[in-house]
Amino acid sequence: MAGMATSLLSVRDLVVRYPGRGRRPGEIVAVRGVNIDIAPATILAVVGESGSGKTSLARAILQLQPIASGRVLLSGEDLAALSPQQLRAARRDIQAVFQDPMASLSPRRSVLQSLIEPLDHFRIGAAGEREDRAVAALETVGLDPALRYRLPHELSGGQRQRVALARALVSGPRLIIADEPLSSLDVPSQVRIVDLLLELRDRLGVAFLFVSHDLSVVRRLADAVAVMYLGTVVETAPAQALFAAAAHPYTRALLAASPAPDPRLPRPLVLPGEPPSALTPTAGCVFHKRCSERLARCAAEEPAQSNPGSLEPHHSVRCFLWKA
Amino acid sequence: MNAPVLVVRDLTVSVLQDRQPRAVVDGISFDLAEGEILALVGESGCGKTKTAEALLGLVPASAGSVSAQSIVLGGTNLAALPESAMRRVRGRDISMVFQEPLTALDPVFRTGHQLSAVFRRHRRLGRSEARRASLEMLERVGFADAGHVLRSYPHELSGGMRQRVVIAMAMACRPRVLVADEPTTALDVTTQAQVLTRLTELAGEAGTAILLITHDLGIVAHYCDRALIMRDGRIVEQAAVDQLFRQPRHPYTARLLAAARGEAP
Repeated sequence: MAGMATSLLSVRDLVVRYPGRGRRPGEIVAVRGVNIDIAPATILAVVGESGSGKTSLARAILQLQPIASGRVLLSGEDLAALSPQQLRAARRDIQAVFQDPMASLSPRRSVLQSLIEPLDHFRIGAAGEREDRAVAALETVGLDPALRYRLPHELSGGQRQRVALARALVSGPRLIIADEPLSSLDVPSQVRIVDLLLELRDRLGVAFLFVSHDLSVVRRLADAVAVMYLGTVVETAPAQALFAAAAHPYTRALLAASPAPDPRLPRPLVLPGEPPSALTPTAGCVFHKRCSERLARCAAEEPAQSNPGSLEPHHSVRCFLWKA
Repeated sequence: MNAPVLVVRDLTVSVLQDRQPRAVVDGISFDLAEGEILALVGESGCGKTKTAEALLGLVPASAGSVSAQSIVLGGTNLAALPESAMRRVRGRDISMVFQEPLTALDPVFRTGHQLSAVFRRHRRLGRSEARRASLEMLERVGFADAGHVLRSYPHELSGGMRQRVVIAMAMACRPRVLVADEPTTALDVTTQAQVLTRLTELAGEAGTAILLITHDLGIVAHYCDRALIMRDGRIVEQAAVDQLFRQPRHPYTARLLAAARGEAP
């Protein structure tokens, strides 16, 4: 991964905990010391299954979730150290798109009203030209400006997600945190939005942290990938390197479990065991209970994140099978 | 192909839209062979879920009207059955699994209670026999600790575990036909592989035919024998899976395949 100097976003040793409640006194450690970097105008996909901590990570970066320890740096500035006024200004640079566009659009506001609101909030442009900016944002995401007077329920799912994207773009951010933005859409709409995101990256220079469980989308979209399991990044690599030569047994199991749309290819392989619970603390490697290649030490020690010489540069893995 | 176990002829489901009836399923016909896994593929809104609900007699009169020349399941025309008789058929001869397992499970009862109820109702088993049958069924859907699952409430289980409980309920009576509507769409990919593998193995042992509704052509490629491609309420193509992927005949099928491979439509 890119070093801190060239990073737009750097996350260092981030830990997110949820306190136990009521009859469940145990605390949940959702994110256990995560390090990631995103260079400007690149797309980092955070891949993982439910309970892997990927959404907690996204929310913590957005400062929507208290951080137990660690830092989130945007262009080298620690977001947690900012005053409320400074944080408000920083939010112009870091915007969010969520899974369900209906949840982020007000049902009673027209598309135009929803797009002007962030402009009013950040006092961007003169009041008179905000409508023009909103319309320009609609055109950027490939929507007909005639749709600006519609209400969200009068749009298709794909159109709504484009509006949510336009709303994130209208303040001119450098980074968009997108949490499963495609999973409520049909495959053809997904393909079109993937193309749109690539275009936004190249034309506007926007970087994305793209949270997803869908490897086929990630393969088409991402410049780099971080794979999470039980709150830990077990592998991170340039996308090409990851899909060509996944190093961690979990990443390989994940790839082997996805059904490719071709009956001539091998049938998906079943990863034995149940997904882990973040409630039960584990010693050793987070994946050792389900790993088919585990060594004796995997149950006792946790491997460090390292880049073995046999892997490409910027490809790092937390696994004892790889010698640093 | 084996003899058909389900024969559907001219099935139409109409719903009221702006006070006008609109056919969301528009006169479709197909056969499901004994033990076959048949995919019903299409985008959201194409009518595939309404087809499933109509086969099971689950379209409420307030939501739409169903008409069919015939829906014949092993000699019985379901289209002509009154609801009271349909209740005996549903769950025993034809059963279902939906996308969201929580809609099929009652949150206030332990899973063991709900699974036992299927055996007690349709197979007339006593309390302890039903419990034994439930345990065995849970083991067959792949639970190492079936006793624990039996004592759990639905909210205490993960999504994949819940869906396997629903599959255990649906397969409890070894039905002739199982309608599975996007059974793994809400699940993670490793869980999906586990659930689909168990489901197809169980169906193979029981000789159950599956109508598997999905939008995922990867699932069609690896778990199904044949596929129906549905668009705007009609079946535009049906073919064996190998044939469909090698040489789609309808342009819409070709577009779906291109999208699944990541090519722009």
